Amino acid sequence: MSTEQWSRLSTDAFNVALFAYIAGMIGYFYYLAFRGQLAWRAARVAAFLGLSANALSVVSRGVAAGRVPWGNMYEYSSLLALLVVTGYLFVVEGVFKVRVLGGFVLAFSVLTMAIAVMFLYVGPGPLVPALNSYWIKIHVVAAITGSSLFALGSIVTILYLAKDRRERRTAAMTPIAGGSVDLEDAPPHFESGADEPVGEATRWGILPSAAVLDRVAYRTIAFAFPIWTFAVIAGAIWAEQAWGRYWGWDPKETWSFITWVVFAGYLHARATSGWRGRRAAVIALVGFASLLVTYYAVNLWIVGLHSYAR
Amino acid sequence: MTLRQSLALVWRTLRSMRTALVLLLLLGVAAVAGSLVPQVGTSNARILAMFRDHPLRADIYDKLGLFDVFGSWWFTLIYSLLLISLAACLFPRTRALVRNIRSRPQPSRELDAMRHYAARPVPAEPERAIADARRVLRRRFFRVAQSNGGGPPALAADKGLAREGGSLLFHWSFFLILVGMVWGKGTGFTGQAVIVEGQTWTEAAANYDGRIDEGRFVDESDHSGVGIHVEDFTATYRIPSGIPEDFVTHAELYDANGAFLRTVDIRVNHPAEIDGVKVYQFGYGWAPVVDAREDGVPIASGPVVCTQGPPPQGVSPLQLPWNCVVKLPTLTPQVGIRFELWPDSRSLYALLRTGTAMPMLTQFSPVMTYTAYRGDLRSELVQNATVLDTMGMRRWKQGVIGAGQTKELGAGLTISFPDLRQYTVLQVKRDRGLWIMLLAALLILIGLLPALYSSRRKLWVTAEPDGRGSVLKVGGFALQRRSQFEEEFAKLVDELTGTPRDRVGVL
Ligand code: HEM
Repeated sequence: MSTEQWSRLSTDAFNVALFAYIAGMIGYFYYLAFRGQLAWRAARVAAFLGLSANALSVVSRGVAAGRVPWGNMYEYSSLLALLVVTGYLFVVEGVFKVRVLGGFVLAFSVLTMAIAVMFLYVGPGPLVPALNSYWIKIHVVAAITGSSLFALGSIVTILYLAKDRRERRTAAMTPIAGGSVDLEDAPPHFESGADEPVGEATRWGILPSAAVLDRVAYRTIAFAFPIWTFAVIAGAIWAEQAWGRYWGWDPKETWSFITWVVFAGYLHARATSGWRGRRAAVIALVGFASLLVTYYAVNLWIVGLHSYAR
Repeated sequence: MTLRQSLALVWRTLRSMRTALVLLLLLGVAAVAGSLVPQVGTSNARILAMFRDHPLRADIYDKLGLFDVFGSWWFTLIYSLLLISLAACLFPRTRALVRNIRSRPQPSRELDAMRHYAARPVPAEPERAIADARRVLRRRFFRVAQSNGGGPPALAADKGLAREGGSLLFHWSFFLILVGMVWGKGTGFTGQAVIVEGQTWTEAAANYDGRIDEGRFVDESDHSGVGIHVEDFTATYRIPSGIPEDFVTHAELYDANGAFLRTVDIRVNHPAEIDGVKVYQFGYGWAPVVDAREDGVPIASGPVVCTQGPPPQGVSPLQLPWNCVVKLPTLTPQVGIRFELWPDSRSLYALLRTGTAMPMLTQFSPVMTYTAYRGDLRSELVQNATVLDTMGMRRWKQGVIGAGQTKELGAGLTISFPDLRQYTVLQVKRDRGLWIMLLAALLILIGLLPALYSSRRKLWVTAEPDGRGSVLKVGGFALQRRSQFEEEFAKLVDELTGTPRDRVGVL
């Protein structure tokens, strides 16, 4: 196949993935609202279809460009969507058996991919010399993996905040509530599907309990943190090779540092009395906001050495 | 409050987790300021524009150190406090960990009061059952202590010290980063070398182009004296898109005594290293060779380094001509000539024809336009070779000169343009703290993994005689990831009370 054909295949697969993710998102939200098993199965099929198309798109893009497919923002976005959905389907749904977060996860991927096609598209081509390094490949893979996990953790954190609020309201209305909740001591796995905890409004009841959501969020972010740390270190090593300085407070560096500091703050907050729970969750969301700035705003609006990576 | 009490309060505040948290978040906020306000070094032009357009605001920003956030006193204060707070946390934690490692797990007899508890009959008599249990726990990486006091035999076990150890390693490593930074900056230097093809540059403080950034422990004799002879520089662009593909300086390296070492290709991402000094490809430019003669006698000859101003919005630097100056101070009156170089003359013609210059990707029958001035060069005031101050001069001659041509300017003065060369800009740098930083980064990662993923568990086992066998009682709890421990504990109990593998055949 010629370069053009590979390139076209990549674009087509990208579009298929985007629409499959949209379909999956709708299915998952339907499942969240009405709990139809059929809806869940259909949504899952759509998500896997999207995932395959997404993977095909990434690979054929790499073939078309004759290099690793993470050289610019369009390619980062596609890969980010791929990793977030993979993480969700295989870890959150596969390991934690939490089925109800799919809509939110797919919504994130759809948004990422939509922004990528609308604003960030560039044709496949070789990398500019500064980006052509061993370390940047490692750096970008780590950064995207870390970001997708942070994104997953943050989506769960938002749901935790919503659910927690709900639980507090119900608790305030029920006389038997009381005692402190040890977050680590939530009931074991919430098996989704038939046996929901009772006594909740259906739409909220389908979400795992706040304690479980909080734990999943913490685990995900704690998993992402060392990967992000590694990404920042690999970036510094690359910067040292490319520009002769490992750290220069270039906007992209500054924002990845801010993201790192805020998530370190989150991990600390989890171990600080009076900061556990909602306050820590808010810090995680600030970290997520900072991640989005690192990812989009710096490339698109703030000038710096990294800006040519658009 | 007495002094002592206040000091104790300060110490307690510094040690608290809340202080660390607040300082961490403050550090983040300060860094945000540093990314939103243009910073000295990375966005000088924007700072100057701000001083021009909003002088009052710029002045306030300047006073607050907002143009140099990462070097400002308040940024330094935040991270210094964070490091002090860190040390205040780490000393007691380290001492506690050392004590903990030295001591053995403490016995306990109140197993049934533990969060997790199980009692099961096993066929072996107590001594034997305990010995088996000990083996199982060891295999599961528990530290085990056997109590030899009165009563039935008992074990106390724990695991997960790696969590605290990793966390301490991780946190201590930040001091190593500080050391690496201070040592590297203090004993290092960084500057730029401008070398025309065919020339040799020697690494010494005086030979840098513009300012050299030297650490405070560096003096003249500290420079390496190594030599870099540039044979050739090549910039490759994709045609016609103008996307840069490769920049490479082919150079010969010489040691401080002038002995040839080796040839290298220095390209982006592939610095060369000699004698602890690293040399990076940073940029390039054009250097026309200009010969000036008075009545046929050479008065100036050699390559002239041309530079570019910042391009206007929407224009690529590749579309801009290069500017340089030749000064002829020995003539009376003195002469200064400004050149505007077009490495690819087609670009100039495109500009004249269509109003838009074409990107110049390679050399193609280069031309220069020139403007000569006569009068006083005021050399005592203007020392910069690339700046021509025409204050005391009058415009004299103008024209165009192509490569290989010679032009008569009058009064016996001729200039010729025999050759066009390129020069390379190399970033030259020494940082002896790099390996410390790398080590610190490694330790941070190594420490972080157990700090986040391992968890402390404590376990006690006793065996009491029961008929021919005994009853094994197991109690314990987890300090982290408690919900997970439920399952772990159940499995452990199965394993502790189950049939030991080596005796399957007998029973
Ligand atoms: C340089 C700034 C700091 C950074 C980047 C940082 C980062 C972290 C991270 C990522 C963790 C989670 C790993 C773990 O659970 O062990 C952690 C834990 C911890 N940090 Fe820090 N920290 C910093 C400063 C401090 C300071 C100043 C203190 C003293 C108050 C401190 C005390 C602790 C403690 C006690 C834990 C353990 C919490 C737990 O058991 O989960 N840290 N830190």
